[in-house]
Amino acid sequence: MDQEEAARTERKVKKAAQLLFFRRHNQPGVKGWELKKAVGDDYLEIIEVLNSIIRRLGLEVQRLGDDPEKEGKPDNDRFVVVLKEQLTEKASGLRIDEVAILSATLAYIISKQGRASRKSVEDFLADKFPRRRVNSALDRYIRQGYLNEDEKSLFIGWRTRAEVDSKTLMELILGS
Amino acid sequence: MKPRDPDDLLRLIQFCKTVQSADIDPFDLDVKKSLSILKEHIKRWKSIDDLLLDGEAISELTRVIELQCKWIRDRAASFYIDPALIELKLRLMEPVQLASAFLKAWHPILALDRLTPERLKQGIDYWNALLPLNERMRDLEAEPVPEVGTIELDDLFSLRILTQTEFQEQLVKVQNELEMRGRIEYYDFIYDTDKFEDSVRKAYLTSYLVSEGRAELDIEPLEEKIFITPRQRDGAANRSVPVAISYEDWLEWTRKKRQGRNEK
Repeated sequence: MDQEEAARTERKVKKAAQLLFFRRHNQPGVKGWELKKAVGDDYLEIIEVLNSIIRRLGLEVQRLGDDPEKEGKPDNDRFVVVLKEQLTEKASGLRIDEVAILSATLAYIISKQGRASRKSVEDFLADKFPRRRVNSALDRYIRQGYLNEDEKSLFIGWRTRAEVDSKTLMELILGS
Repeated sequence: MKPRDPDDLLRLIQFCKTVQSADIDPFDLDVKKSLSILKEHIKRWKSIDDLLLDGEAISELTRVIELQCKWIRDRAASFYIDPALIELKLRLMEPVQLASAFLKAWHPILALDRLTPERLKQGIDYWNALLPLNERMRDLEAEPVPEVGTIELDDLFSLRILTQTEFQEQLVKVQNELEMRGRIEYYDFIYDTDKFEDSVRKAYLTSYLVSEGRAELDIEPLEEKIFITPRQRDGAANRSVPVAISYEDWLEWTRKKRQGRNEK
């Protein structure tokens, strides 16, 4: 790689890092087409270069499709930076009971093969938390992308797929 | 088993649909037994309707088999754990334990919000262009607020938009068309127009015929279809059934009709 090409790659990596680290929309991350527009057609290779740098810091760029069962075009997928390593310190403003509600909801839905009626989730959570709190927490997790809701049921949202290692969560719950 | 009794098949189709729409284990349906019922019946079928029913049953069964496939794939591909066991564990765990498990499995997204000089400049420009609140409120107050209300048939008569005679003539016209066509699917009757406005008008007039007992709506729950039938006796028992019509559905109906004509 000559000097000029190395400099060009570095510029592209910096641009991709800026797009990925700083929020441009309500939802974190950027779509593949946005990266393509800013960085160029070789954006997937640029992401790999960026990954090799940030992995040393315990971070990683993750690609998320709309449908977890199908591999779509990268241009339509969302790219986000996630913490690769396990958290060692508190890293969110969530209260412990809010995290508990989210954790129990996700485990409950995952155990039902990724989908459960909202009523069954509410009834289950109401065993330990007031219904008003449960309802507002579920609505908030839907807004934040951790859960999704259609006419029939609640299911796992894109953000859970990006952030939560479901296998580890279930193993920890079973092993408790 | 009664000879040529379609009830078994209707029940089977209905059960397949229930499995697809509700949160029911697809393995509650015994596919092998259902296929043997179809096999038993197929020797006796003679008419096209019989064969269509048989085809529909096969189609619904394949959908259930597809669900069974997905069920197996989900359990084989993922870490299948008995939901009852997980539910019990979750009920026994303290909120702190649950939160701790979540944090160990959590890899949060990194996303920072940061103001740039360019964004600050845009904010200042917006501020400068924004009128004071009292001026904006004055503009809002000045806007006329349309009064929402309903208009009755009698109002149309009194406003001379429609006369009693015209309305009755239109009613008779729709009733004659219905009597000529006999029992017909409601949407086939309503949407069979050149313009959507005509369909709306027809639906409005038809509602009068039904409420006056001059026509009858008949709902087939199995087929999920609504039929309309002309009634000979005026003032017979009437009923009120809300039926929705929309421009999109009208377009779709017209498209299918055109497609059907081309195929012929």
